[in-house]
Amino acid sequence: MNKIILYDCSQEVTDMVNNLFGKKVAIENSSFDAQRPLQEFRMVIVETGSKKTEQLLQEIKALRYACNFRNIPIIVMKKKGDTYPNNPYLMAGATEILSWEAPPLACRQILQGYLIPNRKPLDQEMEYLTPFIDSTKHILKTMTSMDAEYKELYFPSDFRIFGDVSGIVGLSGKAEGNAVITFCWDLARKVISHMMRVTEDQINAEFIHDGVGELINMISGFAKKSFVGKPYHFELSIPTVVMGSGHQIGHPEEASIALLIFDVEKNSFALQVCLKLKIEKGN
Amino acid sequence: MKVIVVDDSLVMRKIIVNVVESLGYEGVHATNGKNLLEILEHCGGEVGLVLLDWNMPGINGIEALKTMQKDSRFRAIPVFMISTESEDAKVGEALKTGAKGYLAKPFTPEELAAKIKDILG
Repeated sequence: MNKIILYDCSQEVTDMVNNLFGKKVAIENSSFDAQRPLQEFRMVIVETGSKKTEQLLQEIKALRYACNFRNIPIIVMKKKGDTYPNNPYLMAGATEILSWEAPPLACRQILQGYLIPNRKPLDQEMEYLTPFIDSTKHILKTMTSMDAEYKELYFPSDFRIFGDVSGIVGLSGKAEGNAVITFCWDLARKVISHMMRVTEDQINAEFIHDGVGELINMISGFAKKSFVGKPYHFELSIPTVVMGSGHQIGHPEEASIALLIFDVEKNSFALQVCLKLKIEKGN
Repeated sequence: MKVIVVDDSLVMRKIIVNVVESLGYEGVHATNGKNLLEILEHCGGEVGLVLLDWNMPGINGIEALKTMQKDSRFRAIPVFMISTESEDAKVGEALKTGAKGYLAKPFTPEELAAKIKDILG
């Protein structure tokens, strides 16, 4: 059964969500807890009005981190007459802002849409994703002696990434796209410290910036070897690194973006792979 | 003896220099091919080995290797490529151009140390 968690929601919102879903989903109303992992839930709902907006924005940001890159929608229920703009909530990590003034049927349809299971990857997609999964595990093991466990993948519809640091490599050639690895700061520090064989307190921002770029370079380079003589063969660009939560990564048009999640010592990092066959001019 | 470590990644340079220094050699950082050639101009005679990345901005590894091979002052300095480019064609190109060996990233420090020992004895 799908589980939905409501954080600090009024009885009014709780009743409304219960009425919308009936007994088809398990609904839990809880006090805000930034430390609680959210992987077991299919949706998080928060409500405006009961606390200061800045506090709610910080909590949404913390909840987005607690999702550990999983595709868990965070829904903000806005009270009637709340004229605060939606964008700050979206930038903090919210997926959808619903107004109390919206008709219940529309609310139900929107919320139910978020409960539709993620589509399974096609065999053709796994053909180019599997080398990246294998490469990621191999690079982490060889360079850091850490075991990265591949957990799941989905195809996000949103280009925003809620991590602290992303390493990006452009892929071009017979196939084009990019590969992006995203870490939260603490895990990035731990991984780079293992890579350099020093303690975490010796790792500064420059090392993290540089090391994350080198990791995606190695992951893509090692995966590339699997594509020799195959349609998805590509060349690598020099890696670039983006920092800051909620950053957006551009991808080629009409290409599916796969977001793969790996766990390392109870923390997660994400690998986005976007690769599509290049259509030669004249074909 | 100096060993020049050429890589645009600071983290990778530090990892490699640590291995070099653990073997008793002096590790010298170079950030790309251009930087390598500048260092060789100043202290080429003291250099016993160049550990060279391939993909770097500016003058990349293979271009730097070609320049070294054309210069009689630097031709005899052994060059060992360390790169994410691990396809046979790339390895072959590096060896044909004059590299003494090739190590694909990722590598463990122990693997790198063994390769350096093979070349420098």
